[in-house]
Amino acid sequence: MVQEGRSLSSAAIRIGAAAPIGAALMTGAALLLGGCFGPAPRPAAPPGTAIAQSPSSPVLPPPPSSPAASTPPPGHAQPVPRENHLSPATRSLVTQAQSLAAHGDLDGASSTLDRALRIEPNNPLLWIELAKLRLLESDAHLAEGCARKALVLASGDRAAQAQAGRVLADALRAQQRNPEALEVERQPFMH
Amino acid sequence: MARSKFRRRIGALILACLLIAAAVTAIWMVHLDGVVMREFQGRHWSVPARVYAAPLELYAGAPVSAGDLEEELHRLHYRVGDPASGPGVYRRRGNSFDLHARRVRFIDELRDPQQVSITTDSNAVSALKSGDGADLPVFRLDPAVIGSVFPIHGEDRLVLAPTDVPPLLRSGIKLIEDRRFDEHPGVDLRGMLRAVWANLRAGHVVQGGSTLTQQLVKNYFLSDEQTVGRKVTEALMALRLEAHFSKEEILVAYLNEVYLGQDGSRAIHGFGLGSEYYFAKPLDELDAGELSMLIGLVKGPSYYDPRRHPDRARVRRNLVLQELAGAHLIDAATAERASSAPLGLRPPGGSYVPAYLDLVRRHLKRDYAEADLAAAGLAVYTSFDAHAQAAAERALASNLKRLDAASRLRGSHLEGAVIVAEPNSGDVVAVVGGREFGIDGFNRALDAKRGIGSLVKPAVYLTAIESGRYNAATVIEDAPIELKVSDGSIWAPQNFEHEVYGPVPLARALAESMNLATVKLGLDLGLPKVSDTLQRLGLESAPALNPSMLLGTVEMTPLEVVQVYTALANGGFRARLRAVHAVLDEHGRALKSFKVQLEQAAPAAAVYQLDRMLTLVVTHGTGRLAATRLPGIVVAGKTGTSSDTRDSWFAGFTGSYLAVAWVGYDDNRPTGLTGAAGALPVWVDTMAALKSASFQPVPPEQVEDRWIGYLDGLETTPACSADAVEVSLPSGAALPAKPGCGGPRAGTSPSGTVSDKISAWFKKVVH
Repeated sequence: MVQEGRSLSSAAIRIGAAAPIGAALMTGAALLLGGCFGPAPRPAAPPGTAIAQSPSSPVLPPPPSSPAASTPPPGHAQPVPRENHLSPATRSLVTQAQSLAAHGDLDGASSTLDRALRIEPNNPLLWIELAKLRLLESDAHLAEGCARKALVLASGDRAAQAQAGRVLADALRAQQRNPEALEVERQPFMH
Repeated sequence: MARSKFRRRIGALILACLLIAAAVTAIWMVHLDGVVMREFQGRHWSVPARVYAAPLELYAGAPVSAGDLEEELHRLHYRVGDPASGPGVYRRRGNSFDLHARRVRFIDELRDPQQVSITTDSNAVSALKSGDGADLPVFRLDPAVIGSVFPIHGEDRLVLAPTDVPPLLRSGIKLIEDRRFDEHPGVDLRGMLRAVWANLRAGHVVQGGSTLTQQLVKNYFLSDEQTVGRKVTEALMALRLEAHFSKEEILVAYLNEVYLGQDGSRAIHGFGLGSEYYFAKPLDELDAGELSMLIGLVKGPSYYDPRRHPDRARVRRNLVLQELAGAHLIDAATAERASSAPLGLRPPGGSYVPAYLDLVRRHLKRDYAEADLAAAGLAVYTSFDAHAQAAAERALASNLKRLDAASRLRGSHLEGAVIVAEPNSGDVVAVVGGREFGIDGFNRALDAKRGIGSLVKPAVYLTAIESGRYNAATVIEDAPIELKVSDGSIWAPQNFEHEVYGPVPLARALAESMNLATVKLGLDLGLPKVSDTLQRLGLESAPALNPSMLLGTVEMTPLEVVQVYTALANGGFRARLRAVHAVLDEHGRALKSFKVQLEQAAPAAAVYQLDRMLTLVVTHGTGRLAATRLPGIVVAGKTGTSSDTRDSWFAGFTGSYLAVAWVGYDDNRPTGLTGAAGALPVWVDTMAALKSASFQPVPPEQVEDRWIGYLDGLETTPACSADAVEVSLPSGAALPAKPGCGGPRAGTSPSGTVSDKISAWFKKVVH
């Protein structure tokens, strides 16, 4: 009995092997990831999505210089066009999350994206990533919340709006809400 | 004849009695056996889950100064030295740090020890490199342990395993409390007699006769009453315990169970927790003097309380040291040196955060199956932020002290609560449950359900904007109103200073928290509509549909207010509050993790317009203290004062944090404090100590910014009228212009960066 009591230090910092992942799960995750994270375009994705355009890292902008999402000045009926970027820190975390997800560790990916969100809570690109992850986890309802948030934050950024709209439509379809999904896809920023 | 018959009868009777007694005793022993086994096994061998704070994230631009970083390294017990010598060591040179990070388990990663160089400028991290000189985009420090909980029965204890017990404690406790522990069968008749003899000779109690086993039994199963029956039960149970368990098991259980003091309503049980509580050090780092003080405490934790009776504690410690030296457990020189050393107590208060752990415990209970939490060695990862917690604790304590001193009530003892959260994710980062925040008492942040007063008003104004019939510039009437309520009486609300303002734009009515205008607006919208808004925002139960609901007769806890305000701070998205991110088992596998959960509670455009009005609360209205004390940061928020000033509230947010502060008396007496006078200073001091970005939401597409007269709601320009304020209106909203102040759209702002705009706006409105 005594032996069951564990030393505090070993309880505190446990050194264990990563969770074993079944081969089936791996394959399944890999298939799904093809769409959202991995290099292979998802068969169901409409042509011309951002995912297909930059297959290796969907949300990464080509230049790494710009630190964070720039905010347009308020006060204009037409929002000033702008572009969202990931900072070097959040970009590295997104890459890490994608790699964890690709290895089937969706919880780990989720936690890594949480870190990124703590750093840039208003970056729509991170919310898009989170929405995609929720879809991978088959939680379309939570995916919808993240996608809607991304869509609001993406105001003024056509590319980000289109990405957010696509994930939102997917989340709605996954909940059998096709008319709403169609409505999202008819929005001007989707074209 | 008759006599012998009588004797036989008596004999039979005695025999029968003896048999019955034997049977009863046997049954009773079996019963005690069961009790002993159940309790000892079921209770004792659960190991508490350790609870971790959120790790500090470092990256270029992270708002962490050199001082902040060093403070955190100390909190994590990093030592100063040569980082090459091994993990757990750092060296600071000016604003640069070389750090050898320890091996750490995070939710998503087990990280090996690694060397890092961190450079900071005045208040942020400027560069981050790994040991080999390569740029490191992001790096997190170890998550600090903030406590341990038994997720199921909710006690806080640092349980020691046999290998955690220092040898000196093992032999010392036996020497002082039970010399014949290794020989006796649970009860020590010789020891008892010796104690009686020693006590008689000394004329008072100098030795207790109870064995460690008996003391353990007393702690486990029995109340404190001193009766013969209880003594007998105690002795029998001690014998049973010894029959079932080894000396080693009993000793370790004793060391984990023994009562060592009281921290408010929190009992300090066990040497592990005792060491943390008195010395803020793990047990194995205690020296002979410190251990002796703890051993000495067992005899009378309140009589020898080292904080209240340091002299008694010192005498007792030195006596123990003397005994240890006499038994050659330590050498005489060590005893000598330790006897002249100070007690070495850590300062009171500090790192213990019972209110936050309370929230963790409740979330665990709510979200996990009990069976999952029974496993040993769980690690609970939370969103706790020690820096925010300390800021909120200091802000509350100092302001309540000041307010008490200024109060006209004799013996005023105001209470308060503060919660700080990150609105985008719903992460709760700090919880202060009362002014004695280091004490595990009534947790006002979670349990004080109080009238919220005007904190309810944003829901009324949001309902108005959502209706499409009102916007920030719409003029409404602040005029006396009398209503017949359901019991037939007349309800005639008043403004706080009993004045009447007449026609005012919506933005001003909210900023100055006008009661009459709000009631009129709410009645026009319909109470069910307002109730619906409140519930969408996260109010759990439907409020009673009385007109007085519009002025905040609904009662909520600070935590519930935080939940409702997340949606306002987060563009209309309600984020489910989250303290626990994940629970990992001892192999590092997640039992379950908690995702950010967002639910759209109100349209983003409507919330954006409301939020812009809430910034006017701070620049023009009841919350002005925030604007003057947090210069350069845009803040949105609302004051709340319940009827007769029983409750003082402020709920507000910056770009980084949402915080709610409450101040009031526990017995619900009027405080004489408005939200602005009581809770707002607490809120402001909390935010001032945190590094906060301006509240600067991304404008949705359906709205635009316009300048209006704060007093009349007419379109104007800052150049044209002194009362011009910028509000957000639905794009293209028709707006009459102030005479002589240009045509419609004259006020459309010039383009520029948002910070230019904000600072221009600030200059305008603050002066």
